[in-house]
Amino acid sequence: MSEKKKKGMTAAEKRTAYWAWAFVAPTIIGLIVLNFYPAINTVWQSLCKTGDFGRGNTFVGFANYAKVLSAGETWQSLWNTIKYALIEVPFGVVIALILAVFLNQKLKGTSVFRTIFFLPMVCAPAAVAMVWKWLYNQQFGLLNNIFHTNVAWISNPKIAWISIAIIGVWSVIGYNMVLFISGLQEIPGDYYEAASIDGANGVRQFLSITVPLLSPTTFFIVQTRLIGALTVFDLMFMVMDKTNLALQKTQSIVYLFYTYAFTNGNKGYGATLVMVLVVFIMIVTFIMQKAEKKFVYYN
Amino acid sequence: MKKKVLSMLLASAMVLSLAACGGSGSAAPASDAGGTDAAAAEEAPAEEAAAEEAPAEEAAADTAAPASGGGSITINIWDSNQQPGLQQIVDEWSKESGVSAKIEVVDWDNYWTLLEAGASGGTMPDVFWMHSNTVQMYMENDILLKLNDYIDKDDTIDMSKYYEGIVNLYTRSDGNIYAIPKDHDTIALLYNKAIFDQYGVECPTDEWTWEDVYEAAAKITEASGGEVYGYAMNTSNNQDGWYNLVYDYGAQIINDTHDGTSIGSAEGKAGMEMVRKILTVAAPQSVVAETGTDSLFQSGKVAMITQGSWMINSFYTAENHADYYWALLPYADVNGNGTCDDGERYSAYNGLGWAASAATANPDACYSLISYLCSEEGQKKQAELGITMAGMEGVSDAFANAFDGMDVSAFVKIEDYRLFFRPYTRKTTVWEDALQQQGGFLDPWQNPEDPALMEQACDNAQKIIEDAIAAE
Repeated sequence: MSEKKKKGMTAAEKRTAYWAWAFVAPTIIGLIVLNFYPAINTVWQSLCKTGDFGRGNTFVGFANYAKVLSAGETWQSLWNTIKYALIEVPFGVVIALILAVFLNQKLKGTSVFRTIFFLPMVCAPAAVAMVWKWLYNQQFGLLNNIFHTNVAWISNPKIAWISIAIIGVWSVIGYNMVLFISGLQEIPGDYYEAASIDGANGVRQFLSITVPLLSPTTFFIVQTRLIGALTVFDLMFMVMDKTNLALQKTQSIVYLFYTYAFTNGNKGYGATLVMVLVVFIMIVTFIMQKAEKKFVYYN
Repeated sequence: MKKKVLSMLLASAMVLSLAACGGSGSAAPASDAGGTDAAAAEEAPAEEAAAEEAPAEEAAADTAAPASGGGSITINIWDSNQQPGLQQIVDEWSKESGVSAKIEVVDWDNYWTLLEAGASGGTMPDVFWMHSNTVQMYMENDILLKLNDYIDKDDTIDMSKYYEGIVNLYTRSDGNIYAIPKDHDTIALLYNKAIFDQYGVECPTDEWTWEDVYEAAAKITEASGGEVYGYAMNTSNNQDGWYNLVYDYGAQIINDTHDGTSIGSAEGKAGMEMVRKILTVAAPQSVVAETGTDSLFQSGKVAMITQGSWMINSFYTAENHADYYWALLPYADVNGNGTCDDGERYSAYNGLGWAASAATANPDACYSLISYLCSEEGQKKQAELGITMAGMEGVSDAFANAFDGMDVSAFVKIEDYRLFFRPYTRKTTVWEDALQQQGGFLDPWQNPEDPALMEQACDNAQKIIEDAIAAE
């Protein structure tokens, strides 16, 4: 608010302005303290050789970046993260969409099924990961016992990343489904009636009416889930033991960050890893925004 | 209209997730990982201001006498096995001092994350355990309460009575003492007699060499057709596992001056070669990575493991504990004369220390509690209750009798042979973790049939440790 404007204010306007500031202050302070300050501090730390307990940081320029960008494990972890996202996002969206279409019909028991599919969302992610870890266990796990197989679900580097991503898909289906259902309910029923009269069958209706009219919701889900998937941490952290051979082929970039920043106490290196991820997410988001103009229909 | 709402939703979601991701540098994962314990640790000492006004030296004036009644302090430990026994001793102290104290258990991995976050943010627990992995970093940064003045005025604490390696560990190079030894631990061989009987293999004795372990493990693994494994050891079983073999064969993980290693030497390779040989008849690495060696043993899938004295209680209270027996840690008959000579049997030992936060609001009460726990009486009590062996020398005999029906004398008997202090440097976890993973010993563990891999891993390990020390 500039000086000039203030002069022109009446007493009543001023009072309103004060109150306005007072009401937004908690949010602004919260954002500054909890979001902006840590974010800026992270940028600063990525340029430092950090001391123990946040003391004695020395500025080293882009030395951390040179190390991070030349380390093979950085790119391997980034690739692991992308692979995870490539499974979690498409499958999470498609399965949720199909479920949503079925559960949007006026049938008996839909609310029961909706609740069941939404349940994973209510569970603590760490608890979910623990349960899946036991399901996957090679010796005593339920999966191998039921199918009489002897698959190393989470120790075989070739399939471990898929096993982890399946947990991710399972966890997000419920959430995506609820968003889809609300999107479906906004599509006017007349379209379907008109299509039926013209002789379009269910599949045709789904592809020509539901999919395009649902695209804003789909876009929102894809965008948020993509960012969520790229910052995945808890699944790998809970499921993969440190001595697991598949760890290097599954650990996400945030997991790598955790290892450096917290286990090894190298905050500067960890902060740099996070910066790399931020830049990557920015690029992905930019591309998504461009794609929005092309593929999303708003009525 | 809809477009506006959606794009606003999108924008805010993006800002939030981006900010959250950037911000995680200081907050998110720490609280994520800790779960409920995180909340407890953060609640710790509220009155920081008071602490700043009371420097340790001044407050030291009237120590030993229990802190004036009232108040409360928080204690953090990482071993839930020890919690009930320790709480019992702490409660007795509370009765005398009038200060209430509650022990919070945070599991090992998250303990250090939380403690470091607490030290950086100024909300540490008052009294907590220190460990050789990290204590140097804490001492150098004056995070811990200096105890010298308290100890000088306290008749019940005489630092010369404790194990020397542990005392040295918690004494800074300038002579400042930051923790008093709480306990010491040793390693022994644990076996399941039922499995040995079932396959008609002779049970381990105190005269066993690692070669005997190999032969027995081979017989059991073969006779069971892979149903039961004769032995199990993961790369993470270092202090209680392969470290001991390296020392038996004459090498050192970290040298006496803490600035080098001889794991890549001929002796180091000989030790790891023996490890490799045993691994060829042990549970495969993919198995132990998914189910811990302890769980495998307790579910009757493994006949022998090595374990530390801090784990006894977990086996003592297990379902089939009547089948479990402890034998002296095997030795390496390096000179091949058939007897155990000096330097052929080593056990790692380590000792935790009771330390207090330099920023505690109640340093007198903290020291009073530490003194109570580390005095001869407290140490004896700790051994009698079977919590751990004492950090004070010569008062652990009661420990051998603490477990009715289970003979744990192997842990006390090993002290007649050589002990080596758990290898540490300034940032132990950096190389310790690297050794456990790919590029370290994970590759030969994965493929123990190939001796060249183990030899290569020893050379890698040499480099990993040297590089880590250089970066400290």
